[in-house]
Amino acid sequence: MTNSIEIRGLCKSFGDFALRDIDLTLPGGAIMGLIGENGAGKTTTIKCILNLIHRDSGTITLMGRDNLEEEELAKQDIGVVLDECFFHDTLYPRDLGKILAPAYPNWDSQLFHEYLEKFKLPEKKFIKEFSRGMKMKLSLAAALAHHPKLLILDEATAGLDPVVRDEILDEFLGFICDEEHSILISSHITSDLEKAADYITYLHQGRVVLSDSKDVILDNYGRLGCTAAELEQVDPADLLRVRKGTFGCEALLADRNAFARKYPRLMVDKVTLEDIMLFIGKGEAV
Amino acid sequence: MTGLVWKDLLVARKTLKSYAIFLLLYLALAVMGAFELSFVIAMINVMVMMLPIGAFAYDEQAKWDKYAMSLPLGRRAVVGGRYLFVLLILLASAAFGLLSCVLLSLTSAQDLTEALASVLASMGMGLFIADIILPLSYQFGPERARPYLYAVIFLPMVLFFGAYKLGFLDHVDLSWVDALPTVHALGLFALLPLAALAGLAISYFISCRIVDRKEF
Repeated sequence: MTNSIEIRGLCKSFGDFALRDIDLTLPGGAIMGLIGENGAGKTTTIKCILNLIHRDSGTITLMGRDNLEEEELAKQDIGVVLDECFFHDTLYPRDLGKILAPAYPNWDSQLFHEYLEKFKLPEKKFIKEFSRGMKMKLSLAAALAHHPKLLILDEATAGLDPVVRDEILDEFLGFICDEEHSILISSHITSDLEKAADYITYLHQGRVVLSDSKDVILDNYGRLGCTAAELEQVDPADLLRVRKGTFGCEALLADRNAFARKYPRLMVDKVTLEDIMLFIGKGEAV
Repeated sequence: MTGLVWKDLLVARKTLKSYAIFLLLYLALAVMGAFELSFVIAMINVMVMMLPIGAFAYDEQAKWDKYAMSLPLGRRAVVGGRYLFVLLILLASAAFGLLSCVLLSLTSAQDLTEALASVLASMGMGLFIADIILPLSYQFGPERARPYLYAVIFLPMVLFFGAYKLGFLDHVDLSWVDALPTVHALGLFALLPLAALAGLAISYFISCRIVDRKEF
């Protein structure tokens, strides 16, 4: 099966910040969560995928099509929801059909109306009267109404209440039921990604520091909680990152089962994606 | 691209409606003899100048460009949509202007030839301003482009007035225009919008180059 997204050696420099040698593969039929602290390069990566900014080097293919050479064809199969609703306040939801139908050969007016009904979005109300949740649902309806194969979402669930987030996540899971479909979602809300994502790619200071299956990450990585004296006795090669506090130390482990066998007296826990983000963002290298 | 033209029309529908009401009102007053046709034409000119800037301002407010560039259209089509919108507005206002001329020549003693000449000159002027304001808006954004627009409109007027006051235009003899047969004179005036239309093609390519370099 063709990969939905393949990025090889992507570089983009802004002077004070640079994306460096980003490699990323999103297989068809999967959801990839793109995580990282603010300014880590998630949005820049998505902008490069959508050709909103000019990259310095590297290649990007979307469903096997080069995103520069065959930009228009590649984008016909993509639905995009970015961090804001970009529809003008003075438009009605029903207007979006008129605007977007000529852009997408596969635009399905019936499906768009079904989504508006499903998301309880009144067709004859100005967009300016919508709440943030409604605006994001409208963006999602517009992104799904042309039967895309790939959804690209940049912080699409940020600032939404848990009920709306859950509703949108359900929609993603419904979308992914078709094995040709895939989703790239950048988000700070790691609990959502733990629920929905198949793969996790972690960007830190413009580099990919971790990219693997979510289950592999959560099954293998671990967190060591110990005193400073106990930490001294651990071989540094067994630790990825360390955080030292007033009341004790913690360390990120790449293989918690192997670590537990080697150090049976030390306390090892499972980690969440948020733990990993905190270790990489705030911890020290060993 | 047609979707983008629809977008500009739908976003500006309220403004377009109020312009249409104003124009009809002024036309009715002109028919009743309260205004000269030139006043209606001046209104059309204001409309043609303000709508493209308004479209850029609405887009900037909604951050539309970022979304538009993610659509499967390409950057040139997004620029083309805006130019098509401007052309559409211009054609609609030209049609209204011509209709007003005919109506006024039938109902009052206004000279049709002179009225047609002023519509053509006015369209040429409106299009010429669009030629300049569109690339400027792409380069600087609608707010920062506004002073340049005023410079484009008022600088030639100031220069012309200055030249007139200083006597540089004393030896310019335009009586040959009056001597031309009506059809030839109108043909001469028709050159203005045609030249501005050719300018629009150049303006489009400049705008495309500006947008090609931009990052969103």
